[in-house]
Amino acid sequence: MTLSAALFSHYRRHPLQLLALAAMIVLATMLWTGVHHLTSQARASLDQSESAVAERQQVVRRDGNPLTVDHFVELRRAGLCVMPWLEVSSPEGGRVVGVDPLAAGCFQAPGGQEAPWGGELDGRPFVDISEAAELARDQGSELSLLVSEDHTSGDLPSGYQLVPFSVGPDTGELGDSFLLNLDALGVLVLLITALLVRSVYLLGLAQRRDSFALLHRFGVPQGRVNRLLFVEILLLALVCVVPGIWLGRWLATGLGSGFGQALEGLFDQPLYAGQGGSWLVPLVTMMAVVLVACLADFLRPLARGFAGGNRRSGGLVLLVLLTGLALSVWVTDLLWLFIAVAMVFVAAGMLAPRLIAWLADWRAGHDRDLQARWRHRELSVLARRLALPLVALQFAMAMVLAVQALVTTFESTFDRWLAQRLEADYYIEVPETADPTLAVDWLAEQPELAVSGLWHRVIRGRATLPGGEDEGDARVDVFAIGPVGPLVTGWQLFESAPQPWQSLQQGQGVMVNEQLARRQDVEVGQSLKVTLGSQSFEFLVLAIYPDYGRPAGEILIHPSVLPADFATGFQSLSVSPGDLSIEDVTNGLRRVWQVEELTVRDNRAIEELASAIFDQTFLLTRAMTTLTLILAAIALLMMGWVFFSTRAWYFRLLVVWGLSRRLASAQLVRLSVSLTGAIALLALPLGVWLTWVLVHRINPIAFGWSLPMAVYPRFWLELGVLSLLIGLSIALLMSRQLKSPSVAPVNANVMAGGER
Amino acid sequence: MVDSLLSARGLNKQFQSGDEPVPVLVDLSLHLEAGESLALTGRSGSGKSTLLNILCGLEKPDAGVVQVLGETFDTRSTEAGSKADARWGDLRRQQIGVVFQEANLMPALSLLDNVRFRARLAGQSEDGCQDWLERLGIGELADRFPDQVSGGQRQRAALAMVFAMKPALILADEPTGSLDRHTAEAVIGQLFELQTRHGCGLILATHDPELASRCSQHLDLAHLPET
Repeated sequence: MTLSAALFSHYRRHPLQLLALAAMIVLATMLWTGVHHLTSQARASLDQSESAVAERQQVVRRDGNPLTVDHFVELRRAGLCVMPWLEVSSPEGGRVVGVDPLAAGCFQAPGGQEAPWGGELDGRPFVDISEAAELARDQGSELSLLVSEDHTSGDLPSGYQLVPFSVGPDTGELGDSFLLNLDALGVLVLLITALLVRSVYLLGLAQRRDSFALLHRFGVPQGRVNRLLFVEILLLALVCVVPGIWLGRWLATGLGSGFGQALEGLFDQPLYAGQGGSWLVPLVTMMAVVLVACLADFLRPLARGFAGGNRRSGGLVLLVLLTGLALSVWVTDLLWLFIAVAMVFVAAGMLAPRLIAWLADWRAGHDRDLQARWRHRELSVLARRLALPLVALQFAMAMVLAVQALVTTFESTFDRWLAQRLEADYYIEVPETADPTLAVDWLAEQPELAVSGLWHRVIRGRATLPGGEDEGDARVDVFAIGPVGPLVTGWQLFESAPQPWQSLQQGQGVMVNEQLARRQDVEVGQSLKVTLGSQSFEFLVLAIYPDYGRPAGEILIHPSVLPADFATGFQSLSVSPGDLSIEDVTNGLRRVWQVEELTVRDNRAIEELASAIFDQTFLLTRAMTTLTLILAAIALLMMGWVFFSTRAWYFRLLVVWGLSRRLASAQLVRLSVSLTGAIALLALPLGVWLTWVLVHRINPIAFGWSLPMAVYPRFWLELGVLSLLIGLSIALLMSRQLKSPSVAPVNANVMAGGER
Repeated sequence: MVDSLLSARGLNKQFQSGDEPVPVLVDLSLHLEAGESLALTGRSGSGKSTLLNILCGLEKPDAGVVQVLGETFDTRSTEAGSKADARWGDLRRQQIGVVFQEANLMPALSLLDNVRFRARLAGQSEDGCQDWLERLGIGELADRFPDQVSGGQRQRAALAMVFAMKPALILADEPTGSLDRHTAEAVIGQLFELQTRHGCGLILATHDPELASRCSQHLDLAHLPET
């Protein structure tokens, strides 16, 4: 029997403890690696699209129909330098881009642009066009044709036009902020994991304290024992981190399509394949987290856990808490906001067990009933001894509470907003060749529509907001609607001037979306300079309206205000046919426009699709928070059980002194439920505060729009039930120990009178 | 026998060691009157603690009858286990004091609170609790917690708890096993003195022959032919 075998025999005696430690490391590595992989992939995709398509232009057909290989051939034969660009979904997750290196040869001509890829067609994300075409056969995809910069519209054959090539609007820092949000969640998961791993590891160390003392008496140097402990945790971390990383990448692949949809829905940004982070970063990060969590005391021998501080450190913690709270109100930078959140969490975590212990001691000091006094003193001991898993549970509960509230608020707000935006039953695209005024006249003449139906015309395009001396012009979307009627007048407005819709109908001003109002600091009642086409206007801002799910600034305007040279990007009609059927409407429009086919979309289907996309947005967040909560709950259950076991003797004393086992069990239940209930109670304010930070501070910075602050007592109740279940489970496990007729206490330091 | 403090007849108990049954108590009988003391001796594993546990209802014998303080517990009885447990609970709460070798105190309560807690459970007044600590020489330590006093002082506090409940029967399982000789003698002296003064019964499990000789009866489990 070697020294290491003697030392490691602890885990042979307690295999479940080893298993729990390993499971925590594997699960946390999986979660963090999954998030890291996806955010790295998304960041690389953002960079990729910025560098690949920046300042490029593409050819499109004037009639709006998709391009085919025949069009590519026609343009090449016309002497144009065009290159096919075919984006398809990769079977391994993410999107790949098919390009033709031969066709792109002319891009690299002297003075021309460089090929929009690094030269490698390795699927990260570029592949040969033939490979992409093969994939496109199964899933369908639209071909784009990039044109080199030196061509102008005059070079094009008839029926084609040049438009800027972009995979989405300029999202500014929003895309990065969104990813930073996920990073922050990942860091919180790491923090919770570190607490849990540390708590289980310290428990193991406490149980081995006698063995260490014995080895010391046998003359084994402390340094050697420490080295062996280091090797032990290093091996364990290595053994667990590697499969954790593998599982994390598997998780990322599984969630990739949903995450890609979210990224595309939020920022019109595809998630390209093959851009995920390396193995090295998760490996080094997780190893560092596990080693620091377990061996922190070797690095800083004075560290004594969360509850061991004195009054002065308590004051310092309170100062950190107040500073964090103040910062969270005042800072406008996301990174500083996360630092503020971290400060509040650390301080709240350090205060929570102390507060429970202090309150329990205070109650014990005032209890006249000795059973209650004993119970409160025990509660104080438990709060201090189980500080780490308790704090981990508190964090996880607060996180779940906040994310649940955020997601639920978002869902209800978004659903309401989407329903307002898609108030009409159908949406009909105006063909490029058609004259929309004919349709407007025809619709206005239909008596059934006038009585029972609703409709309006929509014009989309772009406008410029002239910048000041120090800043450049800002491009914004234009959303022109007319006539202004019940399809829009029910929209929720954040702020408005009196009778805003009437003023809009009369062309007396514009409304702006929240994103624009925030970015340009626009307020209702002020005038806004806007360049539409070649003309400059100064409009009164009539209202600010919510506009969720995209980053672009937008102005809502009446079509009558648009100048003749306004470049219309897209036109449509929103129609609720009332007593008419949609077929009647489309037949009439086909007649006046003299076209064969019309694109008609059912707005309910669009609503469902949009909701599905936004569900995906929070899939990862929900999965992470729920898994973290489960992890924390299991850890507390296990720690509670193990720690209660060391106190089992004292509960058995109650039975020895004549209390029935049922009454002794009832004491156990009250104690364990008090403990978990107290931590759930302390998680509540933290969760509500985090909800506020998410909806009022992080969301506007990260996404450009805010959400109303709402609290959901149902979630509080759910957390209460969860804490009750954990408490009852601990008590149930312990009650089984009361039945065993052990006659010796198992507490390691019972010779000193037991812990108190 | 009806008037005796405690009597046991035909007690049998065996444990399983793997597939092998290991008999610990075989057809054991004993009898104790009020004011008497009985020493249980025997090697480790001879069944001293098991017998004490049976005599206070913490364990059930495989067979046999225990009559204690007017209550009869017979393994052949059809009485529900929970009812018997409740009767044992009442006895332990009010009339049977149990002292173990160590850890007799709630670590989160002060010495005085421990004594008051035990007295309250037994339905006794808390008024005399400080007196008991004084009589056992640890009155000035009343507000200390168990981990702040020595092993001997903890055992004295355990005795104070037992006497504060005014028991009719004391079961002590090697109560001085973890103490030095000098402290052990002091504690045992106080135990016998108080037992004699209050006329309660005492059953004492011990390895110490000298201590056993101070008891009015002696039962050596190691010399029972069947064990």
